[in-house]
Amino acid sequence: MNRQLIYILILAAITVPLFLPLGLKHRVTPEVERFYQTIDVLPAGSIVLVSFDFEASTVAETRPLAYAVLRHLFSNNVSVVSLSTLAEGTGLGYNFLSEITEELGKKYGEDYIFLGFRPQYQATILGLGEGFSKVFPKDYLGNELSSLPLAERVKNYDQINLIISIADGDLPQYWVDYAQTRYKKPVLAAVTAVMATSYYPYLASGQFSGLVGGLKGAAEYEVLLGKPGLGFKGMESQSLGHLMIIILIIIGNLTFLSQKKRI
Amino acid sequence: MPLRLPLILVSCFGLFMLLQFFWQATFLDQAYGEVLDWVQIIYLFTLWVGAVHLIKLHLKKSQQKKKEAFYSWVTLAGIFSMLGFGLIGGKEQGSLFSWIFDNVQVPLQATMFSLLAFFVASAAYRGFRARSREALVLLLVAGLVMLGRVPIGNLISEWIPDLANWILNFPSMAARRGILIGIGLGSVATALRIIFGVERTYLGR
Repeated sequence: MNRQLIYILILAAITVPLFLPLGLKHRVTPEVERFYQTIDVLPAGSIVLVSFDFEASTVAETRPLAYAVLRHLFSNNVSVVSLSTLAEGTGLGYNFLSEITEELGKKYGEDYIFLGFRPQYQATILGLGEGFSKVFPKDYLGNELSSLPLAERVKNYDQINLIISIADGDLPQYWVDYAQTRYKKPVLAAVTAVMATSYYPYLASGQFSGLVGGLKGAAEYEVLLGKPGLGFKGMESQSLGHLMIIILIIIGNLTFLSQKKRI
Repeated sequence: MPLRLPLILVSCFGLFMLLQFFWQATFLDQAYGEVLDWVQIIYLFTLWVGAVHLIKLHLKKSQQKKKEAFYSWVTLAGIFSMLGFGLIGGKEQGSLFSWIFDNVQVPLQATMFSLLAFFVASAAYRGFRARSREALVLLLVAGLVMLGRVPIGNLISEWIPDLANWILNFPSMAARRGILIGIGLGSVATALRIIFGVERTYLGR
């Protein structure tokens, strides 16, 4: 089979479900359920730190994850203090936050704030424990932190109920190393599928209070929220994509075996 | 002396960070806050060094009469135009800087990453062969996890997602834990070697 044909088959498998939904059912896994419950039990008015630890290349996965988690937080009237530890995550994180807060009618400064980006994530994570206004004297929009009512309520990690890292790399590990271990704050991780397997040991040890992995995790979260979204749609494409790759592997192996027999 | 000074500095700061983690004292907390500020300041200077080096490198390459010189011009144009747009128009939503980021950089990077699906499919077709018993096991496990991680697996049989989860929660996690413990022990050993001046490769020696 030539390369062009493989590419066409994969393209068809990925794009067809976008136009003809398959209506596949999603089974919620225990790790996603734990993530959801950890947020769900927070009383209204709690403050959650959301860190957008991803870059533009993985936006297809991180956007559904961020949307689902932010929707859940704001629907439960939880206040969100957010930041980014990667330069590219700053613009994207702010966009995601703006879209969801606009949809749910939340006010900047009272219900949520966006601190922006600081280089050197280890120092940033540790510095927040010393004082938020020390690391971020101004927010992303240039407002003095002291002028924002929500920022006035947050001095350091003591006022934060939960930390959520939406990531495409190893940043959630740093939140565990520097914020969970040192300041005893629970950490949740919403990560891309390729990173999810790396974090199962952290979940089993209790260092993560919940884990949502990839589009599958986002789709499961949407089931729990009762609001199908980008995760649902993307997962149908991914399902057929996986199936097509498995079929290609079977064809490849059958060809290999037939050639071997001939020799 | 030029070699001793960085060694002494690294030892002092390494021991200080170790001490302040295990010992609670106000003066240590204050000094620790100062150290964190300095880490960010030094990091910012390293960013400048990186940026200046990148510009110098591409300026040099763009002067060469090679086909690749065009790419250096594109890099330089990207650096200076984004710098200019950011400084003049700001980075807020609706600015030119933000528009280029949202409509050029994000789709370009997402497209590059998405191409992996095609390369993975092609590579799997060509290379994922059951040439030995071990390769067959790998093939079966990979197929099972691939199906178990998508709802279509559940549609085929309820056992598939259960088996995929078992693979991730037990054999895969055991291997991952082993790697993590190894990395942890290696990091401690390397940190101690650096603090005590045994490891000097970071000085270029």
